[in-house]
Amino acid sequence: MAVTIEKTFRVDEPADKVWAILSDPKKVALCVPGAQITEQVDDKTYKGAIKVKVGPSVTDFKGEVQVVRLDGQAHEIEILGKGQDVRGKGSASMKMTGKLRTVDGGTEVVSTSELNVVGILAQMGARVITEVSNIMFEQFVNNFKKQLQSPDGISAQAAKSISGVGLAFSALKASFSRHDDKSDSSGDPNSGSGTK
Amino acid sequence: MATQNTNPGLVEVEKTSPEVSGMGHRMKRKEDSRFLQGRGNYVDDVNLPHMAYGHMVRSPYAHARIKSINTDAAKKLPGVLAIITGEDLAKANLAWMPTLYFDKQMVLATGKVLFQAQEVAFVVAEDRYIAADAAELVEVEYEELPVLVDPYKATDPSSPILREDREEKSNHIFHWEVGDKTATDKAFENAAVKSKVHAISQRCHPAPLETCGCVADYNKATDRFNIYLTSQAPHAHRTLFALVAGLPEQNIRVISPDIGGGFGNKVPIYPGYVCAVVASLTLGVPVKWIETRSENLQSTGFARDYHMTAELAADKGGKIKAMRVKTLADHGAFNAAAQPTKFPAGLFSVCTGSYDYPAAFCEVDGVYTNKAPGGIAYRCSFRITEAAYLIERAVDVLALDLKMDPAELRRKNFIRPEKFPYATPLGWTYDSGNYEGALNKALEMVGYKELRKEQEEKRKKGEMMGIGISSFTEAVGAGPAHTFDIAGIKMFDSAEIRIHPTGKAICRMGTKSQGQGHETTYAQIVAQELGIPAKDVIIEEGDTDTAPYGLGTYASRSTPTSGAATALAARKIRDKAKKIAAFLLEASEEDLEWEPGKFFVKGAPGKAKTIQEIAFAAYTNIPPGLEAGLEAINYYDPPNLTFPFGTYISVVDIDKGTGEVKVRKFVAVDDCGNVINPMIVEGQIHGGLTEGLAIAFMQQIDYDENGNVSGGTFMDYLVPTAVETPHWDTGLTCTPSPHHPFGAKGVGESPNVGSPAAFVNSVVDALSHLGVKHIDMPITPWKVWNILKEKGVTG
Amino acid sequence: MAKKELIQVKVNGKDREVAADSRLLLVHFIREQLGFTGTHVGCDTSNCGACTVILNGKSVKSCTVFAVQADGGEIMTVEGLPSNGSLHPLQEGFKEEHGLQCGFCTPGMLMSSYALLQKNPKPSEGEIRWGISGNLCRCTGYQNIVKAVQFASKKMAQGETK
Repeated sequence: MAVTIEKTFRVDEPADKVWAILSDPKKVALCVPGAQITEQVDDKTYKGAIKVKVGPSVTDFKGEVQVVRLDGQAHEIEILGKGQDVRGKGSASMKMTGKLRTVDGGTEVVSTSELNVVGILAQMGARVITEVSNIMFEQFVNNFKKQLQSPDGISAQAAKSISGVGLAFSALKASFSRHDDKSDSSGDPNSGSGTK
Repeated sequence: MATQNTNPGLVEVEKTSPEVSGMGHRMKRKEDSRFLQGRGNYVDDVNLPHMAYGHMVRSPYAHARIKSINTDAAKKLPGVLAIITGEDLAKANLAWMPTLYFDKQMVLATGKVLFQAQEVAFVVAEDRYIAADAAELVEVEYEELPVLVDPYKATDPSSPILREDREEKSNHIFHWEVGDKTATDKAFENAAVKSKVHAISQRCHPAPLETCGCVADYNKATDRFNIYLTSQAPHAHRTLFALVAGLPEQNIRVISPDIGGGFGNKVPIYPGYVCAVVASLTLGVPVKWIETRSENLQSTGFARDYHMTAELAADKGGKIKAMRVKTLADHGAFNAAAQPTKFPAGLFSVCTGSYDYPAAFCEVDGVYTNKAPGGIAYRCSFRITEAAYLIERAVDVLALDLKMDPAELRRKNFIRPEKFPYATPLGWTYDSGNYEGALNKALEMVGYKELRKEQEEKRKKGEMMGIGISSFTEAVGAGPAHTFDIAGIKMFDSAEIRIHPTGKAICRMGTKSQGQGHETTYAQIVAQELGIPAKDVIIEEGDTDTAPYGLGTYASRSTPTSGAATALAARKIRDKAKKIAAFLLEASEEDLEWEPGKFFVKGAPGKAKTIQEIAFAAYTNIPPGLEAGLEAINYYDPPNLTFPFGTYISVVDIDKGTGEVKVRKFVAVDDCGNVINPMIVEGQIHGGLTEGLAIAFMQQIDYDENGNVSGGTFMDYLVPTAVETPHWDTGLTCTPSPHHPFGAKGVGESPNVGSPAAFVNSVVDALSHLGVKHIDMPITPWKVWNILKEKGVTG
Repeated sequence: MAKKELIQVKVNGKDREVAADSRLLLVHFIREQLGFTGTHVGCDTSNCGACTVILNGKSVKSCTVFAVQADGGEIMTVEGLPSNGSLHPLQEGFKEEHGLQCGFCTPGMLMSSYALLQKNPKPSEGEIRWGISGNLCRCTGYQNIVKAVQFASKKMAQGETK
């Protein structure tokens, strides 16, 4: 299941300061809920893990992150991540590009992610995956802003993974709140309309 | 709802009194009492001492190698009794099992997995919650492999070969063809009009409300194995368990208790059953395995997934000359199709439909993909819904090409009543039919002429309504021994009747009801034949220790086979009863006449013996030379299939703004020959039409490019509720089957067979003035809205 | 390992006291601990309604309720439908109008219909269809179920069983 997510957020710091964090996968990982970098293999490749809980489903992904492209001038980074659940519940791969743009009084971070999920999580469909990604991204942005303010303050401790129940509930709530229509009609199963 | 015998050559069944309640009576069902009070006995209701629970660990990947399975953590959980893997089963030669169609499938994965949700390990624990916890702790290491989900790409050299276990390293399973290719091609060459349609019968699932499951109970002390099983064919399953698991058949007792719906889903043998059997044998305790709904939708017998192209050749006046069909059949990872052995594509070759023309050619290719295995016959005779859908769509496309009214085009081409028995160009002999009778009745019931006028007016105002017709012919009642067998077992069926001294009866059949009302309808047959009130007749099915051997209930075969056997067994009893009556009345048999419930001396109606008196005498005053008792058994080999038919008409209105299709009216005229219980027939029609509605508008099991399944839970696999389901108007015509003992044909599946085409035809008809000729199912509002947008229609 | 709670509940008019895990679903509690197997499990996403029972006067899907939530309360299952010795008008209606075939959805359907008629004793056809829209049936196409509820509504209006 391939899902594309485009996100833009703004910070009140200059591009160079933002780039210092964005260009370092170890620092970025500290902002992603439930993620950690465990080993640096070479200057471009890292080993990492991320724990995602959605409702009753707990997935512990272990895998690899590769910096495919790093452009310090244009402030662009492209990362490829791939991981498999340790218990065999599925796998995920992600291609993410991050770009910085200087705007009035700060920097705009533009990111595009192509996320491909295989397995139990994918069965919940694009709508849950998108919502889960949205929630995780919100947390990421908060953590990123915090790290910008006190770069040494956030230590090697990984950002806490979001509680599974909370994540599932918010995701489902967000998913259903887009469907105000009470009358249940024959919805397209593939475009994700909620049923009773 | 009056039935009219439209075939004057055949005698109608004479109705008995309401007290006897034989054929034709709207008898209330005997089985209702326990269901209404919550006292049904379904498999999950079976609770035995020391019973353990099984839970399946399943693959998240559609195609992957298994590198390791680690059960250490799972085994340590208190309450876990055993964990079985494919490796364990391989030691007993049970890691693979034969399918019902010349293939084998993995019971538990060894080496690799071939579809998402495939069975990988079986956990047995003291309670179902612990079993589920333990299943979460089983660690499986996979190496992902490239995935194949597009059946059109199955034979591309670039596609991965899925089945390494097969000698032929290919994803192509079979090629099957039937008909006269030369004559057909010639007819097309010379044809004035040629029309073509590519129609997909999408992958869907019967989803009976009760999922599949079993309680496997091996008793070490008696060496007997009781298996409570959600099975539509208990005897066949018993024999298969004996052959495959090497268990002595006399020690196996399969009990299909109450079944909460089958629709074909409960015909195959599933890995969960085998694992439960193995677990019970090993542990010596009963093991219950009941699958969840997700497991049911994602791993058990799916239906359809036929990708079909039909061409019709006709003259300018609309007379069809030939049909040409090419079909791609997606069977998933294993060919677990449940169908008679001589027919890799089931009875698909009835795709020539209700029409009279000399030439046809049909070819079907089956392929493997990384999807759940199958396919089964979902409330139809094997592949009949696919066939009926195809021809009825093709005829409507031809009508559009000819700019001819679809009712008139059908009427022009129907096989005429005097041509029966009719040999179709693809090899079937239809027993009887009066297609025009059903069409006329349906057109009248729906008010066709007025509707066409209304449509014309509405079109001028830019409003969209459509009328769709489906005049289908089904082939049910499999089947004659010379042509039909499942896994080698011939498709006869049976009935055994025993009359007690007080004139009551118990009967057992080789079929197995999953809601069809056999406890009532078979009793009505006995009542009709012997005059014993139906309420005095007990019907039992499903226990292989007591019921005579049969092939079960699916493909609408019960009335055509066991129903016939019941009548013939009853007639054997009547023959013996006549001898006893002659003895009691001191008359000769030739001087006796029969009316339901008694023999009387010709011309002296006062000199009579009731069937009850005769039954009593069979035990207390036995004529010399005759054995005591009054019973008979019949194994019935039907001389042919039976061919119920009908015309369905769907009327729809389309909302321009949302693309939503509302079924305004639906008329269903069915002809299943002589009817046992009209109330039950109506109920069957309502249910089948609702399933057809779901298939046409709401349902699909789909796989993305990674093999992730969507439509794997009831959140996405939509079942109509009372709100979406319209009112169904039903009617009957009556054209008895000339070869059936009481002229009946079977009808349970007709509504699922005939309705998808009616629904689709009505939606296409609503949009045909915009140039639309075909829309694939499911016809969701999203699809319709996109078409409207593309055609520039604003809402 | 889940912890056990003592659940005290009135079931079909009788007081019961049974220990159960705190995560045990009400439907399993009813079917196994209490021994009433009329209530059925038909799905795992709370869609089908086969598990419908009356809890503290309201119809609930017992697959989505924990047994502990019923502690101190009152449950009515299909086995407890008031019947005055024979059948409740709903049960009679389902039989007269052929509102069941395989019977699996029937207990849930009866309980939802019961709850509907308690709230709305004279429902229109549309209101009946909405009232049972949380209960799936694969066999009947709902048409005769609607007639069955109408039968019961009429009979109950004539002053028979509530």
